[in-house]
Amino acid sequence: MFDAEGFIEQIVQELKNKIKGKAVIGVSGGVDSATTAILVNKAIGGNLRCVLVDTGYMRKNEIENNEKTLKKLGLNVLVVDAKERFYEKLRGIVDPEQKRKIIGELFIRVFEEVARMENARFFVQGTIAPDWIESGGGLRDRIKSHHNVGGLPEKMEFEIVEPLRDLYKDEVRIVGKKLGLPSEVYDREPFPGPGLAVRIIGEASPDNVRIVREACAIVEEEIEKAVVDNAMNRPWQYFAVLLPCKTVGVHGDVRAYGSIIAVRAVESLDGMSAAYSKIPHTVLERISVRITNTLKDDVSRVVFDITNKPPGTIEYE
Amino acid sequence: MSRPVKVYVIDNGGQWTHRIWRVLRELGYSSKIIANTTPVHEIDADALILSGGAPRIAWESPKLGNCIDYLQLFRGPILGICVGLQLMAVYCGGKAGPSKVPEYGLARITIIEEDDLFKGLPKEFLVWESHNDEVKPANGFTILAVSENCKVQAVKHLGKPYYGVQFHPEVNNTEHGEEILRNFVNIVDLNT
Repeated sequence: MFDAEGFIEQIVQELKNKIKGKAVIGVSGGVDSATTAILVNKAIGGNLRCVLVDTGYMRKNEIENNEKTLKKLGLNVLVVDAKERFYEKLRGIVDPEQKRKIIGELFIRVFEEVARMENARFFVQGTIAPDWIESGGGLRDRIKSHHNVGGLPEKMEFEIVEPLRDLYKDEVRIVGKKLGLPSEVYDREPFPGPGLAVRIIGEASPDNVRIVREACAIVEEEIEKAVVDNAMNRPWQYFAVLLPCKTVGVHGDVRAYGSIIAVRAVESLDGMSAAYSKIPHTVLERISVRITNTLKDDVSRVVFDITNKPPGTIEYE
Repeated sequence: MSRPVKVYVIDNGGQWTHRIWRVLRELGYSSKIIANTTPVHEIDADALILSGGAPRIAWESPKLGNCIDYLQLFRGPILGICVGLQLMAVYCGGKAGPSKVPEYGLARITIIEEDDLFKGLPKEFLVWESHNDEVKPANGFTILAVSENCKVQAVKHLGKPYYGVQFHPEVNNTEHGEEILRNFVNIVDLNT
């Protein structure tokens, strides 16, 4: 079995030896970056600055909630509003790899600005094994450029530190729990670094973000409600994706012509393989009705994705 | 006290190479991932696992580095997974190439012969696949398992301690994957 206590002891010591002076860490509020932040905080304490970037692609109320949670953990958090910069750079971009690279680079530029301000030479991130495995390199094919590995620019002003590189999600959760993170953090469902931008197939425009953000919130709420009601087990990950094509519908005897939302939910241990979740039809139906009613001007149809990984990946881009 | 068995993972660039290492570590073996260009004389392992990878067996075998050397010169059991199995089959005189019906994700395998690899396991179970190529005739091997669309899912060499699987026992969704890897490592005899 994975020895979390031994791991924590060893990594904190390594971080103490490695990081001289100040460091900046990119945090999202997810389990990987929060666990990493607590480890580094243990090693260098007040010399760590946590940066939460509002990319404009976070979920509903996520920035406010995550800022609160991270501060409660005793972390020194700075929120940077970079929404307009991200929207501007991604205008007109539809290629998934190009999206991921633009986001990866912009993240680093924001972190560099903070590092300069803080006089920090080290930049920490919560990279885990699937990030570098799927990003490829050498013999390994690139499945997708994770923003924190394959999406990094060639030149950077700081040295990167990645204490969780060899761990998978389930191991990170064990470490996070050991470190005293609350269950809403160590048990949180995975959310991709590029955020909702990769849940919009096509241009990640502010209007498309609005649609997919609302749809994701509905999927999360309905599934979590069904879990509380014992109608199903909580999937490993569950979300909505906005597809780039339109279909015909009928609303109050009037023709409608709107987008398609795909609902995706999977069971996995570590994200490296996954089976689609066998969600009860009553739950799927509630999700469908709520999405098509709430987003009536935008969405005319909801579909459920029944693809495993492989051949699909969990996220769409 | 006997020392832990050393099982090294030869990296052929697979998505799941690191998972093989993780499962071996969890089973209590001593393991590390090494490049497939590592010279055979530098390898001090008791057994080897040749990982899967993106290289296509018919056109890209140079990307499989020194794997042929390992088959020729390494003294100890070798398990080939996916393209690792395909290379092993070709080396031993069989053939491998594009599958008529490739398999991705879920498949059901049927065990024909239990042998050491499937000791104590059910006759049928679900596994995870990810292959474009497959072994056609596996000359020199006994076939241990099949699936609906692939007739060479698991093999054992007739003379040497070589085993191969087309599916991925290291993947969490595969049923009995850990037991298969444990059964393989159990073949190692530290006293010889």
